[in-house]
Amino acid sequence: MIPVESEASSKDGVKIIYVAKENILQFLKEKKDEGFDYLLMITGIDYKDHLEVVYHLLSSKSGERLVVKAKTDGEIDSVTSLWKGANWHERETWDLLGIKFNGHPNLKRILLAEGWVGHPLRKDYPMDKKQYVNLKEDGDDTVSFEKKEGY
Amino acid sequence: MSDNILVTTLDEALRWGTGKSLWPFTFGLACCALEMMSAMGSDYDWARFGSDVFRDSPRHSDLMIVSGTVTKKMAPRIRRLYDQMAFPKFVISMGACASAGGPYVRGYSVVDGVDQVVPVDVYIYGCPPRPESLIKALKLLQDRIADGKVKH
Amino acid sequence: MQDKIVEVNFGPQHPSTHGVLRVKVKLDGEVIVDAQPVIGYLHRNAEKLSEMGYYPKAQIYVDRLDYAAALNMELGFVLSAEKLMDIQVPDRALWIRMMMVELNRIASHFIWLGTHGLDMGMLSPFFYCFREREKVFRILDEITGSRLLYNYFAIGGVYSDVTPKSLEMIKTWLSDFDKNLTEIENIFKKSYIYVARTRGTGKLSLDDTISYGVTGPMLRAAGKKWDLRKNRPYLHYDQINFDVPSQQAGDVYARMLVRIEEMHQSARIVAQVLEKLPAGDFYNKKYSKPMLVRIKATGESYIPTESPKGEFGIYLVGDGSAIPYRFRIRSPSFANLSAAPAMLIGYKIADMTATLSSMDPVFGEVDR
Ligand code: SF4
Repeated sequence: MIPVESEASSKDGVKIIYVAKENILQFLKEKKDEGFDYLLMITGIDYKDHLEVVYHLLSSKSGERLVVKAKTDGEIDSVTSLWKGANWHERETWDLLGIKFNGHPNLKRILLAEGWVGHPLRKDYPMDKKQYVNLKEDGDDTVSFEKKEGY
Repeated sequence: MSDNILVTTLDEALRWGTGKSLWPFTFGLACCALEMMSAMGSDYDWARFGSDVFRDSPRHSDLMIVSGTVTKKMAPRIRRLYDQMAFPKFVISMGACASAGGPYVRGYSVVDGVDQVVPVDVYIYGCPPRPESLIKALKLLQDRIADGKVKH
Repeated sequence: MQDKIVEVNFGPQHPSTHGVLRVKVKLDGEVIVDAQPVIGYLHRNAEKLSEMGYYPKAQIYVDRLDYAAALNMELGFVLSAEKLMDIQVPDRALWIRMMMVELNRIASHFIWLGTHGLDMGMLSPFFYCFREREKVFRILDEITGSRLLYNYFAIGGVYSDVTPKSLEMIKTWLSDFDKNLTEIENIFKKSYIYVARTRGTGKLSLDDTISYGVTGPMLRAAGKKWDLRKNRPYLHYDQINFDVPSQQAGDVYARMLVRIEEMHQSARIVAQVLEKLPAGDFYNKKYSKPMLVRIKATGESYIPTESPKGEFGIYLVGDGSAIPYRFRIRSPSFANLSAAPAMLIGYKIADMTATLSSMDPVFGEVDR
């Protein structure tokens, strides 16, 4: 059994469990064996002094739901070995929030252009500093801060 | 006899023909694309106005309807598609997003207006514009082509 | 002769990608050996913008997620927000919401059916479907004042009441809906070419479906009777009779059958709502101006709803101010599309359009 750091409940009555980030892979594996076969989403929250990774689980047999959270400073283990769907969710969380998933097979930007600077959903992302994207001959993107270099 | 002869310049005849046989490019970006589809669908049927054949390749078409939000990642690709179209070519910017960034203008990944990417002939407001507006834009474009005001 | 792998780039502008999807395909002859979807061409920073304004303001971005079924998106948002702020909603509003959501689901499935026909080389269903869809739109237009993006649901109720005239319109429309839909259905079912091209194409096993987090009609087509309207009822779905269609095959044909049956069931729900619609307020009178709701909220909430594409919900985290601290969209198409490689690899390139369109991706929602 993996120790649980603390428990809480969300407004819609779903249990929230906090786990240490070292144990997250092990803990989710346990939960998956217990019947939580669906990984609905992985996301992150930027609390300025730390980041939190949030996993929403669902058991398709009982219909039960569970939220698992882990505090991190920007790195956590990937759960792609447990759920195939975790792949894109983790890439998105890396793209927009800059949380690194160790052991992910292909941790690249998914929504923004490759080469983008910064992670926009961070609270300190500079919204006034515009970036411009252009296309290279081979179809890849280039990103620059100069307006004349792209759109 | 004189009733059956139409005297015109070659230029005018060409302009008349261009305006009445616009071939739009099937190219949907976002929500506005659904209204574009409605305009070509049963109820609105804009084939009535001489713009019948939606073409799937930029090289076959001469009207680009930019229907939706232009993101920074998509903008260079729109430019490339525009460059691939054959002359003469026209652009209708459909909706608030394509015209000026729309509700997303304050964001980090949206281009504020497709006119920064390709030259635009007709803008339509609305979010989304109703199919009637699109038909009006088409008529406007045809009139302007016939008057020789649009040159590309 | 040596095997040669050819790389083909598909999109982001392609008539059968339903928007701006790009797929990098590797081919061995005609067979797909690798397929990698590339997304993000419609990334409109909806989450960031929603975290920059008051709660009601986020609704315009929610509207534009799945633009084919905007009311379903709004429902996910208002339910979550009401839970977070503990706002009560009058009964009449709940029933109106239920009716509107089902009407919008029908419109969304009609778009899918029409464009799916186009992708399979059938032009006529497109025109039939758009004819029927316009009928739904006329009703929605009458009630909400807008055709595609409504901004009709509000935190605390709905913006305007349904009028007797619009109810009359719905009744007239319902009277021949099933007949018209069956007519369209038969175009698909009786087309030998369509059936031959879609039976056994784009199969996704139930295990893979669950592992990829795929929900909605695609899950039901793979053999699991799972519908949040039945399994975790919200609004008043527990007081209504309807069936959840499901199929075993998990291929493109099964998805078509499931979606068409869902439309019949949605019409059934609308008919029952018309009978049961109670009188009363359509809006919680405590909040007289819905757009100006400035309620400070803490905690978090996520109410899953069954959108036409699958499980949709908004994960809201409040920090005690009137602005959402974290606004995360769980979008069904995103998860569904991530399963694309499993459905494409091993099939012929000609099956690709069928498989991609059977997923019904809407890019406003995939890229957000
Ligand atoms: S103008 Fe409105 S409807 Fe059109 S693409 Fe932009 S947000 Fe969507």
